[in-house]
Amino acid sequence: MRSDSTTGHVVKLAPSQAELLYEAQQRQARNFRTNVGLSWGILLLILVYLFSGQNFLGIKTIQIDFEFIRNNMIFIAGGLGETLLVSVLSIVLATILALLAALGRLSTIPPVYALSTFYVSLIRGTPLYLQIFFFFLALPQLGIVLTGLFAGVLALGLNYGAYMSEIFRAGLASVGKGQREAAIALGMTPWQTMKRVVLPQAMRFAIPPTGNEFIAMTKDSALVSATGFVHEVMWRATRVGRAQFHNLEALIMAAIFYWLMTLVLSYVQSVIETRLAKGDR
Amino acid sequence: MAPIVQVSKLDKYFGRLHVLKEVSIDVAPREVVCLIGRSGSGKSTLLRCINFLEEPSFGTIEVDGLKVEAHGKGKEHRQLIHDVRLKTGMVFQEFNLFPHMSVLENVIEGPVTVKGMDRAKAIQLAEENLDRVGLLFKKDEYPMRLSGGQKQRVAIARALTMEPKVMLFDEPTSALDPELIGEVLNVMKKVATDGMTMLVVTHEMGFAREVADRVLVMADGEIIEDEKPDNLFNQPKDPRTKALIDRYRTGTT
Repeated sequence: MRSDSTTGHVVKLAPSQAELLYEAQQRQARNFRTNVGLSWGILLLILVYLFSGQNFLGIKTIQIDFEFIRNNMIFIAGGLGETLLVSVLSIVLATILALLAALGRLSTIPPVYALSTFYVSLIRGTPLYLQIFFFFLALPQLGIVLTGLFAGVLALGLNYGAYMSEIFRAGLASVGKGQREAAIALGMTPWQTMKRVVLPQAMRFAIPPTGNEFIAMTKDSALVSATGFVHEVMWRATRVGRAQFHNLEALIMAAIFYWLMTLVLSYVQSVIETRLAKGDR
Repeated sequence: MAPIVQVSKLDKYFGRLHVLKEVSIDVAPREVVCLIGRSGSGKSTLLRCINFLEEPSFGTIEVDGLKVEAHGKGKEHRQLIHDVRLKTGMVFQEFNLFPHMSVLENVIEGPVTVKGMDRAKAIQLAEENLDRVGLLFKKDEYPMRLSGGQKQRVAIARALTMEPKVMLFDEPTSALDPELIGEVLNVMKKVATDGMTMLVVTHEMGFAREVADRVLVMADGEIIEDEKPDNLFNQPKDPRTKALIDRYRTGTT
């Protein structure tokens, strides 16, 4: 609107102009999404074509054995259950440890604070691969024999717990001092303040990054295959791949399964995040 | 009448900074006392020492017969502080409503969690107090959907629902847009008229003049004047008080 003209004509036109502008912006956003989607499709086609064995401008693409894939599809897919089992058990353990470590970090009792920082430092300072082997191969020397699954879950849980404690610590720190003061002024004990006021708000902050960790963990669960006793996707893929010298096909299949799993999990996570964002805040 | 709040020779250090210097005040039951002073004068710290949001360094605080020494330790001391907090309701500058709870849940949280009050009874009490601040119709909203003024009125209802003997207000209107200040002051006026003992840290000279029984002026960690509002605003004794009042009159705070 250029002026507060009294003709009414200008006043009527102005909103429709805004409307047009808005529509143009919407169109632009839609176009962007469509084009990104198309490009994704093309990239995917190129990737598939690369493994098609066809001749392209005199360059021979990679030939894979579809017979092998058909024969071993079900065997490798059979590992999905174990992979998810390891991931779910580990994330539960990791969440509990992360919460304890984050709370320990807030403690004013020196041994508790020390225990928390010691744990995080030790675990983050050593490789996950080593930790898995430690629980599976080193402990038997001390007379403690763990199953592959148990050793794997223990190692993954401890490892991710240490990293996730930082997420939880940030979540706790995101709750303002005023919130604690309001709770204290009402007469709440420190424990009531934590349980009723701080934790619920910290959790809301921590849920989306915890989802990311869970997705990362489904992939790191492949390391548990190193124990040789957890028959998850990676273990199955390397087993049939090595035995029949078809590692290429076997690993491609495993890769597709992991990729699909993370796509589904990312989708689930985005749904949860939208819910949280829309929620009552 | 015996004072309901008695602060004696209170000292508070932040590190090496001496922010309260042997401050003593008395507040009688049903009295409304306003604390004014420039920022950094120690008025908020004094208020926050009364319910031990700040631990005073030296001195004693007595609220409704509960006497707490500054440097106490141990379980008995903590219990005393807890009991003092039950006798005092606090309203903050930044409202500090719990964002993950609805208005009603915010207001019943104290009675249910701290006092173990029956939920139905707490809801009844909460609804009465929300009605008092004129926000019963917002009881199912979440704080995010309220204006600043409405948030502060809910915060007042939340504090009142704990049925305290004394209400402490820490600059309750300082975080509000100017057009929202009136509604909060009106609610405070109503609470005062209903006979609540109130200690109010404020920059609202109009409110102090109209509602307070007594106005305390703080400067550099000390109380420099303790007067009835009419006397104070008409004939300030200390030049610092005069400067303070003049500044608010000309609107350059």
